[in-house]
Amino acid sequence: MFFTVKNLKVSSENKEILKGVDLELKKGELQAILGPNGSGKSVLAQAIMGNPKYEIRTGQILFLGKNIAKLSSSQRARLGIALSWQNPPAIKGVKLSQLLEKITKSKASQAKVGITALLDREVNLNYSGGEKKLSELQQILSLKPKLVILDEIDAGLDLKKTEEVAEIIRRELVAKNIAVLLITHSGEILKFLQPEIVNVMVRGRIICRHKGYQKVLKTIKDYGYERCKKHALFTD
Amino acid sequence: MKGAKNTHYLQIDNKVKKICRPEGVEILPAGLAWKKYDWTRKYFALKPSSGYFIWARKQTKNPLLSCVSISSPRIKQRMQNLLVVEDNIKIDIQGTCNSLKKDLNGFHQASGKIVIKQGAKVNYQHVHSWGEKDIVETSYQFFLEKDARLNYNYQVIMPPRELKTNNRLILQENASANLEMSAACVETKFDIKESLILKGRNASGMLKLRLAAGKNSRISANSQIKAEAEAKGHLDCQGLLTDEKAVVSLVPALVCSHQKARITHEASIGRVSEEQLNYLMMRGLTEKQALDLIINGFLDYE
Repeated sequence: MFFTVKNLKVSSENKEILKGVDLELKKGELQAILGPNGSGKSVLAQAIMGNPKYEIRTGQILFLGKNIAKLSSSQRARLGIALSWQNPPAIKGVKLSQLLEKITKSKASQAKVGITALLDREVNLNYSGGEKKLSELQQILSLKPKLVILDEIDAGLDLKKTEEVAEIIRRELVAKNIAVLLITHSGEILKFLQPEIVNVMVRGRIICRHKGYQKVLKTIKDYGYERCKKHALFTD
Repeated sequence: MKGAKNTHYLQIDNKVKKICRPEGVEILPAGLAWKKYDWTRKYFALKPSSGYFIWARKQTKNPLLSCVSISSPRIKQRMQNLLVVEDNIKIDIQGTCNSLKKDLNGFHQASGKIVIKQGAKVNYQHVHSWGEKDIVETSYQFFLEKDARLNYNYQVIMPPRELKTNNRLILQENASANLEMSAACVETKFDIKESLILKGRNASGMLKLRLAAGKNSRISANSQIKAEAEAKGHLDCQGLLTDEKAVVSLVPALVCSHQKARITHEASIGRVSEEQLNYLMMRGLTEKQALDLIINGFLDYE
């Protein structure tokens, strides 16, 4: 398997946040994780990337057959995993162009998301919500990743901007056979990207894994996240 | 030595290796200037045995480059320097003071005066790059006459073991000065004293400090703005702790003796955020690369 998370339990400040998460992605596959605020979606993303704030108590994270749970964030990034942050921090005094120059593996990826106006500005400093998302996408593309985790890439965007961002994801990632794990609270972006599998996370567990994103969205809208339990968990 | 070809004043250890005078600019060893130009004597505390004299009499197109290096072990440099820029002349100066090796145990002491006459404008980039066992002491006085302008940017790229700086700027009517000092310290004791004296009406100035304290560093900065006329001044001191054992002390002071003067200050000391480090490491940078990028951003280095 291209990417597997097995029984992952993660704590922060002695509080268990992820309570045994299982996940599998194939190469080039697009999956989504839906869930309410505080369900552990962003913690899962950060734990996959190796943020030391989150301690892995048990479980494995396998990427291309290798357990990466003990590697540093840099090592994971260099293996080909990239995360777009929900709330990226500002780096004062560092222009976005400088950061891109330092991290870029693929020059060909430059200027594909339309961020020319941001290049001379300091990283994430006083960016609008939309500018942050585009900056994140540009950085991700520059890393030439094999697996991309997009944490709330549609949060705070209006419908037109969401469609624009979805088009970049489709064109630059999905169409290029790069696996994408799309974490979203609202689910708005799913209709533009139509993921192959939708996972629903509630209170640190994935309670549903389903192929029909529309059905899952309708259940959430009509009855809330908990009712998604009725959709069978399945594995291929 | 890199860049030596274009240097106008080059000193290695205690020997002047090269002097190149662009048209309209006099450059001499300070001792010869003392003999040749009587008027310079009022600016030197004693007859100088070492140091440079630069006198910009006419406009020159290219920047003036000076380089003072230590290349041999246990050298002691005691320089007295004088820079005089005549009325309405605009010049750019790039000065480098450095050690050519890390472990020379050198001592560099430089004191001097920088006189910027009426309407003259000076952009001065001063870069220090030392070995880890060197001791460095610099003390400069800047005199800005009416309508004079100064931008002085002092960067410590590689810090010595001990560094003391003492800068005093005196501004007459409508003169303006920006003094920016930045340093990334590792195993360094750095003692800064600086004062900006606004003597003339409409004088304005800013003192800006960006000090990153790394492993076992002790940084102490006493910065003062004194307003004696209807003038404006601002002090901006920021420290960044990048090591658990580092200490930064910032003491900004404002002294005002004129009712219409407006002087302000801001000072802060922070540490590198874990969030920033994690963010950059998730972009594939190592911890050191991420830290260097954050520090360089803080110091305004590109």
